Amino acid sequence: MSIAARNALIALLITVALVGTVAYAINYLNQARITELSAVEDQLSIDILSLDTQFSLLEAAPCDSNASSTTLISELANMGDRLSYAENQLGSDNAQVIRLKEQYSLLEIRDYLITKELAAACGDAKPATVLYFYSNAGDCSDCDKAGYALSYLHNTYPTLRVYSFDYNLDLGALKTFIVLNKVQRSLPAFIINGKPYYGFTSLADLEKQFPKGALSTSTPKL
Amino acid sequence: MWYSDAIMSPEMLAYPFLFIAIFFESFVLVTLLSKPARAARARSAGAATPSVAVIVPCYNEETTVANTCESLLALSYPADKLEVILVNDGSTDSTAAVIARFADHPQVRIISKENGGKHTALNAGIATTNAEFIGCLDADSFVEPDALHEIIPCFADVQIAAVTAAMSVHNPKNFLQHMQNAEYIFGITFRHAIASINGLYVTPGPFSFYRRSTINELGGFRYGHQTEDMEMALRIQQAGYGIENAPRARVYTKAPGTLAKLIKQRTRWTTGFLRNVLGDYRGLIANTRHGVLGMLILPSALIAVGSGMLLFFFMLYELTRSIVTAISIRAGVPLSYVFMPHGPIDWFYVPINFYVLLGVTTLLASLSLIAIGKRISKTPGAIALGLVSYTFLYGFVVPLWLIRATADITFGRRRDWKSS
Repeated sequence: MSIAARNALIALLITVALVGTVAYAINYLNQARITELSAVEDQLSIDILSLDTQFSLLEAAPCDSNASSTTLISELANMGDRLSYAENQLGSDNAQVIRLKEQYSLLEIRDYLITKELAAACGDAKPATVLYFYSNAGDCSDCDKAGYALSYLHNTYPTLRVYSFDYNLDLGALKTFIVLNKVQRSLPAFIINGKPYYGFTSLADLEKQFPKGALSTSTPKL
Repeated sequence: MWYSDAIMSPEMLAYPFLFIAIFFESFVLVTLLSKPARAARARSAGAATPSVAVIVPCYNEETTVANTCESLLALSYPADKLEVILVNDGSTDSTAAVIARFADHPQVRIISKENGGKHTALNAGIATTNAEFIGCLDADSFVEPDALHEIIPCFADVQIAAVTAAMSVHNPKNFLQHMQNAEYIFGITFRHAIASINGLYVTPGPFSFYRRSTINELGGFRYGHQTEDMEMALRIQQAGYGIENAPRARVYTKAPGTLAKLIKQRTRWTTGFLRNVLGDYRGLIANTRHGVLGMLILPSALIAVGSGMLLFFFMLYELTRSIVTAISIRAGVPLSYVFMPHGPIDWFYVPINFYVLLGVTTLLASLSLIAIGKRISKTPGAIALGLVSYTFLYGFVVPLWLIRATADITFGRRRDWKSS
């Protein structure tokens, strides 16, 4: 074997080793992201369960408690952002991503229900709430725009509670939630303070669907 | 919030080219560590002093030719064995007057002729000398005093027909020239490694030397699609001779200071390469008889032309897509929100993926080869600015002349360069 051929063979082995190392490093990084997501999700589960339990314990006088899910909604949003990024990196068909999305959806539903119950029990003003249903299956051309607009609204109005759901997620609780809220398969779909709204044209049009004064930049009382 | 990324990434197209780039850099590195390259580095400057003539073709080089000539006369080589031939190729500026100052120098011969192009100037010089070795030096280049003593021992093997030097940029001033300096020093590593397995396909104008007998056998310089140095090197390889490299024979050349001049120069080089290699010398490609040159170097160089353009278009596509996506999904969201970073800074969102990390690997290997080239050649001066400009500029400017040259080849366009 000539020196050039031998060198080419060694170089090929080095290249394969380098590319393999890069692939391993990327996989390691993605796994670390998944682990981080799981940790955030675990903490979120505990917090919501705690809130739920606290609410049950003080059923007679729930409003005396300092129970509040205000901080949880920002954690949920944080979780949603991370999950969205992980989905872009790993693909929407990644098994771990789907599992985390299912858990995330359950936590969202639970938080939504608790918040609703607290508001009803304590007679508080209802916080502006959006249930947003989207699809990643390529059948919702405006979902990107709608998601982006909601991200903007949530960043601009901290009191706004946004719950995002993948309409196609195969999850019993979500399917029931969709049926109970009478969400049609015309995506993107929004339930804004209980009222349905379908399609997305612009941020301004979406903002018009909110009750007057619902979008506020002031920080809510804890 | 969720918003999908339904478009399939075109990154997959770039992977094979990045793989080839890493392979090629690994190959250069492994070859550097191989016995022939180590032996070449261990070769000491020789004591032999055969007769040598250095030809300096000049066309409108009034500002630099005097320094070029003086650097040649300062070579530490016996005066009776070293001849400098200044060929004024019909200059229209004061080159004739400048070189006339050397007319009385016993080592200098001056030839004036009508403009006919660089190859005719070189041939005119060759015709006037009987020196055993013929050197060429562009009239905008300057040599170190010991350069010739580094060159001559490389001709020890009678099969070696030509020897190239170690080029870097003379006094780089702006960012573009620093970038070229880093690129030239990368070239030092590349030439040194590849010459050790006889894979060179160009003998650059700055201080390449030829065995006189080989020139007599193969004929003088030809037009070679405005790259007479490449044509001669390919002819030497085709004839079965070898081309060596002297990594410590330092020569400094003026580099274009503006992007327009650089693109013009490199378009000429690239079209010359494509026309020579795909034309008269296509028989070398994938030809096992020509070893590493035919099987690896020339195919890689051709792939590099294609991949340089493809990666550039890919980068443009990604950039355009990001901007279009940002604008299209905006739907009334204020621009201040779209283009300002929001959210916490977190390792989780660091945009590292397979493609980016492969690109970084390729770049780090390139920077390492530049550092190695500087060390091997003992090229003086700082390289930090060169590395920075190479990192941030090179990938953006190379495609400009690759695209221009490919378009010229495709449409059969021949540009009018200066005559020499």
